[in-house]
Amino acid sequence: MKRTKNLYSYYMIFPALIIYSIFFVVPALAAFYYSFTDWRLDRLELKFIGWDNFEKIFSDKTLILALKNTAIFAIVTVVGKNVIGLLLAVGLNMRLRTKNLLRAIFYSPSILSILVISILFTPMLRTEGTINNLLESVGLHSLSQAWLTNPSIVIWTIAIVSIWQSAGFQMAIYLAGLQSISQEYYEAAKIDGASSWRSFFKITLPLLLPAININLMLTLIGGLKVFSEVYVMTGGGPGNASQVVGTIILRSFGEGNWGLGTAVNTLLFVVVTIIAIPLLIFMRRKEVTE
Amino acid sequence: MKTIKRKKAMSIILASILSISLTACGSGGTDSGTAAGGDSKGGKVTLELAISKSSQDSAFIQQDILDAFEKQTNIRVNLQLIPAEQTTTVLQTKLAVDETPDIIQYNLASAVTDLNLERNFEILDNEPWASRIVNKDVLSSGGHLYSFHVSQDTGMQGVVYNKQIFEELGLSIPTNYEEFLAICEKIKASGITPVFMPYKDAWAANIWPAAAFADFVAKNDPTFFDELNSNKKKWSDIPEFKTFLEQQYEVYTKGYTNTDVLSDSYDMAVGKFLNKEVAMMFMGDWLIEGVAEQDPNMELGVFPIPSSDNASLGASPLGGQLFIPKKSKHLDEAKQFLDYIASKDVAQQIVDSKGYVSNFSDVTTPELPAYKQDIVDNYITPKKTVLTTDAYMLVDRSELYRLLQDQFAGGLSPEEVLKSWDEKFSQLMQDKGVEGF
Repeated sequence: MKRTKNLYSYYMIFPALIIYSIFFVVPALAAFYYSFTDWRLDRLELKFIGWDNFEKIFSDKTLILALKNTAIFAIVTVVGKNVIGLLLAVGLNMRLRTKNLLRAIFYSPSILSILVISILFTPMLRTEGTINNLLESVGLHSLSQAWLTNPSIVIWTIAIVSIWQSAGFQMAIYLAGLQSISQEYYEAAKIDGASSWRSFFKITLPLLLPAININLMLTLIGGLKVFSEVYVMTGGGPGNASQVVGTIILRSFGEGNWGLGTAVNTLLFVVVTIIAIPLLIFMRRKEVTE
Repeated sequence: MKTIKRKKAMSIILASILSISLTACGSGGTDSGTAAGGDSKGGKVTLELAISKSSQDSAFIQQDILDAFEKQTNIRVNLQLIPAEQTTTVLQTKLAVDETPDIIQYNLASAVTDLNLERNFEILDNEPWASRIVNKDVLSSGGHLYSFHVSQDTGMQGVVYNKQIFEELGLSIPTNYEEFLAICEKIKASGITPVFMPYKDAWAANIWPAAAFADFVAKNDPTFFDELNSNKKKWSDIPEFKTFLEQQYEVYTKGYTNTDVLSDSYDMAVGKFLNKEVAMMFMGDWLIEGVAEQDPNMELGVFPIPSSDNASLGASPLGGQLFIPKKSKHLDEAKQFLDYIASKDVAQQIVDSKGYVSNFSDVTTPELPAYKQDIVDNYITPKKTVLTTDAYMLVDRSELYRLLQDQFAGGLSPEEVLKSWDEKFSQLMQDKGVEGF
């Protein structure tokens, strides 16, 4: 078989590659280097200190809490955004008269800036704020919480706000995926007597894998890199109860400890890479092509 | 045929748009380049003065003063206004890459740590105006004069209180902690919240401790801060510090404050005073100015944090001083600018317009607003003030503020707050390379 000749020569990539290298690759490599030094604001000399920064990350109480919070946040938002997004997509793919209106409503929070949403939710989540007032007015007084000031639930509260904002976006991607599944499969399954649960798990989910793949990537990486919501709603507080990796990096740079901040950033990069790339490869392989 | 013609036309149009935009960007770049290099304009020197946007109404940068200076000396002063949240980072970066402004307005106490005062800034001991300065302490660090200001009024920190509410309820200023709790009880009984605590803004939780610690140290252990900063003593070494932290927390647990201490923020304070919802707040007297601006009929005053018997009023380190970076390209002209503001007429003009307490021996202090005059009469003149802890700190205190928040969230006891702060403090001092750590 004749190999199709490339229309464009490989050299066309060079300009983009050069720009990418200068502005992304080189700084990233420099950052790796700085993670192993004691880079500080007020010192001109740079000393190579090996793994010290990383040792500090895993021994300092607050830094460990930040890692824990980031993990909790990532897991809760991945599960929340995808499950709710998928349910919404399946529900709004059925024959409903208000289908389009409902899709627009559920999608709209994701258009708003996360900063604006965080600022709006902060006063609503006060102890005498809108949310608690609402709960009390329907008699669910026992469910009202100190949403943003109780150290044990604050990170969950922020995660829920994040899910509220983004689930519509996941829904949109799942809808696109659902609509690419040919109806023939469902018809054939029905003829063979499959229940709706069976057809969901055996037809819908496997054929939806590209969409699941994309959503999983987006929500996971977004969840691990969280910053805006936490910074606006609590600033990492109360105390250090809701610190996440993003806010810890800001804090380290603010304290002048630039080497430590860069090291935390490098750690984040490594974690995201370790989780994302195998997941990507695994999902790619399982994708069923038509 | 038509499509090929259209494609050709489109590609020519696109290419020309691309090249036009490139040249536009290019010439735009060179324009801003020449504007930045001020003295290429035939001999006239331009000084760059960097200042935070939040300090826009600083007396030193009022247009009439800058214009008069330019007329007299042919030196133009160009203002670099930096957004408030970015001020520190932008200045740090500029100093690090040697793109320093010629003059910077900043706070002396924070400049020591944030901007590495000793390394980056000129010593001003021998300036012509230095001999006329009355209070050199508020402008100095490590025994040398580094900054310039016409005022020695350092902003007092204590309990800001509503005088009218006190009069109505027949209350007098408490001189110790028990009396303070008693008046809180009376105020609460009348339906007003005694104290407003906006501790979502963590720094507000440090007003009481900073003043209480400093007052105790000044009276009982004057060398404490020196020993603390050379690692000979620790914060946990003084048992009274624990008591002071307990006191502040007790005011909250006894119900003398707003309910949502950790979600209420500082920007709500002025409103709370205006609505007469609260009677007191642990804050600096700048709050009084803020309230007076909105309602000149409100009568507010300030008394010392009643942590011990007859405590002194806390004086915060002076802010808004002018500094000259060592690497400025126009050192002489920058010093000329300071000279100009320091001249008797200009300094008098500034002191009069802002109601400052003059820091020059030949510039008189004008008539001050009532609350300020009170402070001068009752505290500054009889020397019943003490510099708060902030004046002695070489490192960033944000972690202490967060630990105080933790205490209010019910997570830490006062001992644990002090112990954790000790650990973080040693680590920050060690990172900074301070001797002894």
